[in-house]
Amino acid sequence: MIRYIARRLGQAVVIVAIVAAITFALIHLAPGDPFSAVLDNPNVSETVRETLRAQYGLDRPLPEQFVRYVGALARGEMGWSFSHDRPVREVLASALPNTVLLMGVALVASFALGILVALLQVARRGSLIDHSLSGITLLFFSMPDFWLAILSLLALTYWLPIFPVGGAVDPVMHEYLSLGGRIVDRLKHLALPALTLTLLASASVARYQRAALLDVLPADYIRTARLKGLTEKEILRRHALRNALLPIITLIGLSFPALLTGAFFIERIFAWPGMGYAVVNAIGTRDYPLVVGGVIIGSIMVTLGSLLADLLYAWADPRLRGH
Amino acid sequence: MAAMRYAQILCAVLLCGCLGNESAGKGSSGGTLAISTGGDPDALIPSLLQTTQAAQIVDMVYDRLADIGDSLNILGDRGFTPRLADRWTWAKDSMSIAFHINPNAKWHDGQAVRSNDVRFTIVSTKDSTLGSPTASVITNIDSVSTPDSATAVFWFHQRSPQQFYDAVYQNPIMPEHVWKGIAPAGWRGSEAAKNPIGSGPYRFVRWIPRAAVELAADTANYRGAPKLSRLIWSIAPDFNAALTRFFTGETDLFPQLRPENLTEVAKHPDLKARSYNALAYMFLQFNLRDPANHDRPHPIFGNRELRRALTMATDRAALVRSTFDTLAQPALGPTLRVYPTTDPNLPQIPYDLPRARQILDSLGWRVTTSDSMRTRNGRPLRFTITVPSTSQPRVQLAVLLQEQFRRAGVQADIEKLEFPVVVEKDRKRNFDAVVGQWNTNPSPGAVRGSWGTAGSRSANGNNYGSYENPVFDAYVDSALNAFDPAKRRSYFTTAYQTIIQDAPAIWLAELRAVVGYHSRLQITTLRRDAWWAHIPEWSIPRDKRIPRDNAPVTQSPATPSPSPAAASGTGRKTP
Repeated sequence: MIRYIARRLGQAVVIVAIVAAITFALIHLAPGDPFSAVLDNPNVSETVRETLRAQYGLDRPLPEQFVRYVGALARGEMGWSFSHDRPVREVLASALPNTVLLMGVALVASFALGILVALLQVARRGSLIDHSLSGITLLFFSMPDFWLAILSLLALTYWLPIFPVGGAVDPVMHEYLSLGGRIVDRLKHLALPALTLTLLASASVARYQRAALLDVLPADYIRTARLKGLTEKEILRRHALRNALLPIITLIGLSFPALLTGAFFIERIFAWPGMGYAVVNAIGTRDYPLVVGGVIIGSIMVTLGSLLADLLYAWADPRLRGH
Repeated sequence: MAAMRYAQILCAVLLCGCLGNESAGKGSSGGTLAISTGGDPDALIPSLLQTTQAAQIVDMVYDRLADIGDSLNILGDRGFTPRLADRWTWAKDSMSIAFHINPNAKWHDGQAVRSNDVRFTIVSTKDSTLGSPTASVITNIDSVSTPDSATAVFWFHQRSPQQFYDAVYQNPIMPEHVWKGIAPAGWRGSEAAKNPIGSGPYRFVRWIPRAAVELAADTANYRGAPKLSRLIWSIAPDFNAALTRFFTGETDLFPQLRPENLTEVAKHPDLKARSYNALAYMFLQFNLRDPANHDRPHPIFGNRELRRALTMATDRAALVRSTFDTLAQPALGPTLRVYPTTDPNLPQIPYDLPRARQILDSLGWRVTTSDSMRTRNGRPLRFTITVPSTSQPRVQLAVLLQEQFRRAGVQADIEKLEFPVVVEKDRKRNFDAVVGQWNTNPSPGAVRGSWGTAGSRSANGNNYGSYENPVFDAYVDSALNAFDPAKRRSYFTTAYQTIIQDAPAIWLAELRAVVGYHSRLQITTLRRDAWWAHIPEWSIPRDKRIPRDNAPVTQSPATPSPSPAAASGTGRKTP
C-alpha cells in the first residue's frame, strides 16, 4: 500500500509540473496586460508602462521568466502577486482558511444531506415523498449556482433580513466582539454561502446515491438479507448503503479539489474572501504568478483527491484491495 | 431583525468592556461611516495609486499643501485653501512658489512635517524607477528647494496658468523618514505601503484584503479633528452584494448607484440619493489607421465624410436616454460641461439620418444587396465595435449603436472582450471602433495626450484612434498656455469645434454619478472630482446613532503611545 501511495505521489509531482508549465505558458500568451487598469489613464506614459514591466521582470524573454519562476518555486516561493502587491504565498494563505471553512462545511453538509435524502427516497420509493424529493433535487441540480446565490442573498438578507449580506465577518464590529461573539459572527456570515452550496451539491449527491441504491437493491445479498428477516431500514443501512457508496466516493474525490479552489460565483456574490475568487479574479487582471500559484494548488488537490478516492474505494470494497 | 442583531453586538461590546463614551477622544464628535465599495485599493501610496478606492483612502490619510476648491479652478491659486501649507508666496517672475508649512502639522507617528518631506515627495514622484503615473503631469516642476525646515520652494521650468495646480493637486505629501530607506521599486510591496502614515484627518488602522479598510479620526490633527470618528470601506466585489449591504443598513453609503436602483432608494424613507456631474465621458472612437498596416489609412474610417455620416446617423440623445435615463447627457466633444473652458453651446454634427444616407451614397457606399446593407466595389460597409464586457453601459451603448447604424445600411459587429484585452487592442491600435471612456481630472489638459498628435505618434500613446490635426493641437496648446480665462476658453472652443467637425469619434455621453446614503448621515458638498473630499466635515447626529457608531476606535500602529489613562479607554488593539 505504501509503495502504491508513493508511486501515485510521484506521478502527482509530474502531473503538477506539467500543468504548471502549461498554465504558465497559456496565461502569458493570453492577450492583455497585468497593468491594464493602470494604463487606462490619459496621463500614464509609456515610461511608466516600461518601468512597471521591468519592476516585475516582465521585460525578460518568456523562457527566462519561466526558468526564474521554476527556480523560485524550488525555493518554496510562488512569486509576487501584481494585483495584491504581496507574495502569492501570502495571498493564498490568507484565502485558504476561508475556503477550507466554507467548502469543508458545505461538502460535509451536502454529502450528509444528499445521502439522507436518497435513503429516504429509496425507503419510500414510488411514494409521493419520493416523487417530491426527486422533483426538488432535480430543481436544485439544474439551478445555476449564481442565480440561487443571488436569490438567497435577496431573500434572506434583504426581504427577510436574517443573515448578514456577505463577507467572512462583520467588517465594522468583529474586532470588538468577545470570543463568543466573534464565533457567532463568523457562523452567521458562513451560514448563507454554506447553505447555498449545500443545497446545490446535495441535490447531485442525492440523485447519484438514489440511483446507486436502486442498482444494488435487486442484488442477491439484499434478497438474502430480506429472507433472514431484517427490516427494510436495516437492509438499507447495513447492506445496501455501503455497497452503493462507490459512486459517492468518486464524487468525494472529484469534490476534494473544491475544498481549496473554492466556488467562484458563491465567493464573489457573498464577498467571501476565498481561493476561488482570488484566482479567477487574477485571471481577469492577468496576475500571472497568482494564477499559476492557484492552478498548482488546484492540481495538487485534484491528484490528491483522485488518490483519496482510490483509497476509499479500497476501504469500501474489499475486492479492490488486491489491485 | 436587524435591530436585534445590532442589540446583540452592542451587548457583546458592553460585555468585553470596550464601550467608550465619545471614544473618539477630544475633538471628534463620533460616529462611524461605513462605505460599500467594489474592490480593494490598489496601493495606498499617493504617487502610485490608480483606483478610486485607493484615492478615497489616501485623500483621508494624506494631506496636500493646498486643496483645490469646490469650483475646481486650476488657474493661479484662486479657490485653493491652505492645508499643510498655511500660506504661500509667489516669486515676482512667477517662476517659483514658496510654501510655508504649518508649524503644527504632524505625521500620525508624531513627527513634525518638514519641508524636506515636500522635496522628497516631488523628487521621488519624478524618479523614473518608481514608475509613478503622476510624473508625466508634473514635468513643469523643475525642483524643490528647502531654505529652512518650514519652507519648500517649487521651481518651475516655465510660467504656466496651472503651475500652482500642478504643484499641489497631484501631490499629497509623504513622510521622508518613512520612505527614504526603501528603494522605489520596492515601495508597492513594502510594509510602509500596508500601514501608511500621513498627516491627513484620518489615521490608518487596518486593511483586511477583500474585506475592509478602516481609518480612525486623527483627534490631534493640526486642522482639528474630523467630525466622524471612524471610516470603514466594506469591500464586496459583486455589485449586487455591495448594493444590498447599503439597502440593508450594513453600510451607510454607496457611491455607484445606477439609474435602475433609484426606485428602490425611493422606497426606503431612510435612504437618500444625490447626483453630481462626474469628470468622465464616453465615446465611440474610430481607428483612423488600418489595423493591418498602420501606415495606411483605415479603409472605412480614414474618410472624414464617412465618419461624419456615421455621426449623423446616430441619435445620441435617444441613445443616452435609453442607457442612462437622466444620469447622463450627450457629450459635447472630448471635454466636459463643468470645465469653465467649455462652451456648452459648441456646434454639433446634427442627427440627420436622411442626410447621412445621402453622404454614404455619394461616397459610393450604396445599398445593392437584399439585406439593405451598403457595399462599394463588392466590399460591405461593415466593421467591428470592440467593448469591454465588464461595462454594462458600454455594452448597451454598443448594441444601440449597432441598431442605429443598421438603419443607415451599415453593419456593425460587436466584439465583447475582457478589459485587459480591450486595453491591449487599444494600445496596439488593432481595432475598428471601440466604445471608450476617459476619466479626467479638473484640468482639461489631458485632451492633448488622448486626442492630440503627440498621443498618436508615440508608440504606445493614448490617442488610440490616431487622430491628427495640427490645428487642433495648436489651439489646445494655446489654450493651455493662456493666462486670460476668456482667451483660454476661446482657444479651447476652436480646438473642440475642429475635432467635433473631424469626427474621430462619436461623442456619446457625459456622465452623472449618484451617491446613495443613509439619511442619518449629514453630508455636505459632493465635489465633482472626488465625492469624498468633504468627509471630514460630515457628521451623524447623536440621536441618530446606532451601535456601530459607538464602537471603540482602534489605535493604529503608527499612533504615538498613549498615556496609560488614555489607553485604558481605547479597547482592544488590532494588528
